[in-house]
Amino acid sequence: MSEIFSSELTMSKNGFLFDHGSGLTYTLNATGQFIFHLLESGKKSTHILEKLITEFDVTEDTARKDLDDFYRQLKELGLIEQ
Amino acid sequence: MRLNVAVTGLHAADNPAPGIGVIRCLHHPEKWEGRIIGLAYDALDTGIYDEGLLDHAYLIPYPNSGSQALLDRLLYIHEQQHIDVIIPTLDSELPVFQKLEQVLRDNGIATFIPPKPVTDLISKANLAELCEAENIPFPETKVIKDPGEVTEAVEEIGFPLMIKGIYYEAYTCNNHSDVQQYFEKLRLKWGLPIILQKKIESEEFDVCCVCDENSDLLGAVPIRKTRLTDKGKAWAAVTLKNKQLLELSARILKQIGWTGPCEVEILKNTRTGDYNLIEINPRFPAWIYLCTGADQNLPRLVVELALGEKPVPLEPAKSGICFVRHAIDLVCPLDYIENLTTLGELHFSEGEEQQDKG
Repeated sequence: MSEIFSSELTMSKNGFLFDHGSGLTYTLNATGQFIFHLLESGKKSTHILEKLITEFDVTEDTARKDLDDFYRQLKELGLIEQ
Repeated sequence: MRLNVAVTGLHAADNPAPGIGVIRCLHHPEKWEGRIIGLAYDALDTGIYDEGLLDHAYLIPYPNSGSQALLDRLLYIHEQQHIDVIIPTLDSELPVFQKLEQVLRDNGIATFIPPKPVTDLISKANLAELCEAENIPFPETKVIKDPGEVTEAVEEIGFPLMIKGIYYEAYTCNNHSDVQQYFEKLRLKWGLPIILQKKIESEEFDVCCVCDENSDLLGAVPIRKTRLTDKGKAWAAVTLKNKQLLELSARILKQIGWTGPCEVEILKNTRTGDYNLIEINPRFPAWIYLCTGADQNLPRLVVELALGEKPVPLEPAKSGICFVRHAIDLVCPLDYIENLTTLGELHFSEGEEQQDKG
């Protein structure tokens, strides 16, 4: 598990995310699943941003907005350290 | 070794007793080799009719009939079936089993239950004091023994707060009018004392634990309840991997000298992230069968401990295992109920004597 997460998280192939510490579950969309996989494998934000741009064929602004939004939600849910 | 285990708490209706879950654990992963004897308080205790769970069912007197009445009945059943171990599963019967523990052991019947002085410490009336003395994190609490103490206690704690009956029931109070209303309701129903407790914004977790005679934690299954009935009982839950829950449970149980099974209820303050003890139930929870999915068979562990064995601590419980409670109708012939009502016993298998002859 990547050190970025505050407890052990596992995601199914359908994007169903389970927090082993709290028992809470979340459903991730395709972009969320893509970012989660990269975070899980320890990739940095700059790398994730580049991958988002090429994988989803979007502008840097769009990709950055999506990534920031994903980080914000993870923080609000207490899934990554503040 | 074939062992005969007797289990109480067979009524699994809208507020299910833990006995059926305990018995299903004993039958896991393969059917229990010895006999399972169900000890029921009523001929309509539901679990009696769940085919294949019990070899024998016997009615026993309610705990308020006194320890002698229960002892006489248990010794009668022992003569018939030779009971090796009894697992009591209800809060209300624990005092009488604690009283009978030694005499049962002298008669060859083992139990593995917490001692009375320890269960007295964790009663709702005493838990706050215990936690303060032992430095166990606990929400701010006032135990009200006289109605005149309410106003001052409410001022100290502030709103919102929880008001709890000494045995059952709890309500949220957001103002003085709520306090007045629920205080009277609880006082009339359960008497004094009544507990006032700071309500903290929190998530609730439960840990089913088993400690050995040295109060060391041998097995523990932490869960989050994911669905509750309107009585606040779990009908769905998931197992967790949570170090803080396990460490806090182990520390508390060691400090207070626990032995046997229990359910530790813990709140996590959603603002500060702190974990607070909220209650310890001195028995297995009704959701105990979930522990088999998490690879920790806690009732089988209790049987080993009752027999004086020295089991090693179990591997950590597997997380991400769920249960969903499901009510079904059981169908049986009328003579099952007739036998229990008129004779106080019902036999699905041959008795000890017949089996030995066979």
